[in-house]
Amino acid sequence: MLEISELCVDVAGKPVLSDISLTLQPGELHVLLGPNGSGKSSLLAAIMGLPPYRVTGGSIRVDGVPVNDLSLRERAALGIGMAFQRPPSLDGVTVSAFAGAMGAGATLAREAAALDLSAFVARDMNVGFSGGEIKRWEILKLFLQDPRLMLFDEPESGVDLEHVIAIGQAIGRITRTPDGQGRPRAGLVITHTGLILNHVEADRAHILKGGRIIHSGDPRAIFAHIQTHGYTVPETA
Amino acid sequence: MDDLTPQPKDTQLLGDLTNAERDMLHDVGFEDEATRAGTSILADHEMRVALSNDPGVEILPLNVALKTYDFVQSLMFGLVDPEENEHIRLVAEHMHDPLGHFIWVKPGAKVKLPVQSFSLLETPQGRQFTHDITLIDEGAEVEMVSGSAVPGNVQKGRHISIGESYMRKGARCTSVTVEHWGPEMEVYSYGYSQLDEGASSTSTAIMMSPIRHHTSRSVSTLAAGAKSASQAIVFAPEGTERVLATETRLAAAGATSQDIARMVSAGGTIVNDAVLIGDAVRTNGFLGCDGLKLRDAGEIRAVPQLRARAEGTQLSHEASVGMIDGEKLNYLMASGMDEDAARDLIVQGFLELDKGHVPADLTARIEEIVAKAKSGGM
Repeated sequence: MLEISELCVDVAGKPVLSDISLTLQPGELHVLLGPNGSGKSSLLAAIMGLPPYRVTGGSIRVDGVPVNDLSLRERAALGIGMAFQRPPSLDGVTVSAFAGAMGAGATLAREAAALDLSAFVARDMNVGFSGGEIKRWEILKLFLQDPRLMLFDEPESGVDLEHVIAIGQAIGRITRTPDGQGRPRAGLVITHTGLILNHVEADRAHILKGGRIIHSGDPRAIFAHIQTHGYTVPETA
Repeated sequence: MDDLTPQPKDTQLLGDLTNAERDMLHDVGFEDEATRAGTSILADHEMRVALSNDPGVEILPLNVALKTYDFVQSLMFGLVDPEENEHIRLVAEHMHDPLGHFIWVKPGAKVKLPVQSFSLLETPQGRQFTHDITLIDEGAEVEMVSGSAVPGNVQKGRHISIGESYMRKGARCTSVTVEHWGPEMEVYSYGYSQLDEGASSTSTAIMMSPIRHHTSRSVSTLAAGAKSASQAIVFAPEGTERVLATETRLAAAGATSQDIARMVSAGGTIVNDAVLIGDAVRTNGFLGCDGLKLRDAGEIRAVPQLRARAEGTQLSHEASVGMIDGEKLNYLMASGMDEDAARDLIVQGFLELDKGHVPADLTARIEEIVAKAKSGGM
């Protein structure tokens, strides 16, 4: 579903990602681990097409379609969706008004209850939300958008343990549920703590450091290695 | 004044409204007279309706009120000098037969249904000069809806109005004003209010229809412990110029005010010149002016002024003017919205009313009016 090949990205002329290659098959959930500043969020932004990230080399394909030259809106229409780490506040724009504009009022009623966000529908988007509320809202937003490829930017940061479980379950549920047209989805989760790995069934993990993927493998093995050795390449690799 | 016995002049229906007039007024908040505590309708150069359904409310044409109650003379031009400027002088010169209403909410009255008052200008190129006086007497409580409307064929015309509002000790008023003048009209409205000790006013102004020029000046003076909270949502499409000039004077200890203006220019010009004066100890005031520009054309000018004249007055302001935040647009577009839909959602949100300022019974109706205005229906 997602094929990234030899991708290089810069911001204002400064390279932030080099020679990234990554493939997600339909139905898969991958986790990208790395220290702060390693380029994790830059990779998601480059896939989504957010400024100011600029692809300087390599390619990104979604369902075989090259997206390098597509606008943000065109990428979303192609089926890419993103749960933001720090979304902007939208004063006056209620969750229900947003869902209405998305034509997803019925989905909102159903999924808000599942994410314990029913009381939020009348609130302005991201205004006064706690860290955990923002993360749950961002996943609810993906349910409303119904994308095929989902990008989760640090979904557990700033979330209490109780809600990390709920967020992990929600990520698992949306990833394993076919989209509105019955097609399998795929997801890419980035995390620097790795805590989310305790609550999602990831198929593969990658370590990103210094703008490069330095290792890929079994998620639990990689998480165990990072906990004792930091973001290094396991000797058995 | 408090020793005056209320007179049984609570029902006066001077004329009737046509269905077309009712439809026109409905767009700015009018409801059937039977569902309101009182109704005042001014059409062109006549008071068409001055009607009360509540013994606590008296509504009279101003020329009748002046002859009925001696004290109305002292209320008239009690808050503004008839020589203050050329427009007010012009209205004052028409006072041989004053046009406007006198609304009196009697002492202690707790009025359950809203009182409504509207102006209609139905003649193309019409000239309308009005003077309204509102007296909310000691301890009275009332909700008010007011507005202006023109038929679709009225493009040009001129309207100059003076409004003087007196809120006596402990009075409370929550009000909403919805304006819909003709797109080529010139309007100058001057509103003066005096809030006596412990009085409380919460007001909302909705100014979203196209108009060639509108100057709206309001001056409020707050006595000890009086409270004022106002919000205005203002829209200026290309060809529209709106000048808001407000002056709030916290004249005695414990007076507080909060004035919020949210302004959107889609090519038009909006000037918000707000002055907040702290004249006494333990006064507290806030000015908030936020502007959003949707196009390169047009201008938003926000000029908040704070004048602290007494030790212990706390005055503050926040002002911002800018284009739509690109981060917000990208966030919505990443969800699959096209740019126009994302912009609309952001602008509609920016102009969202603080519902806590709108009378509870009127919230749904006002939301409907604002939604229609936002969608360009006005």
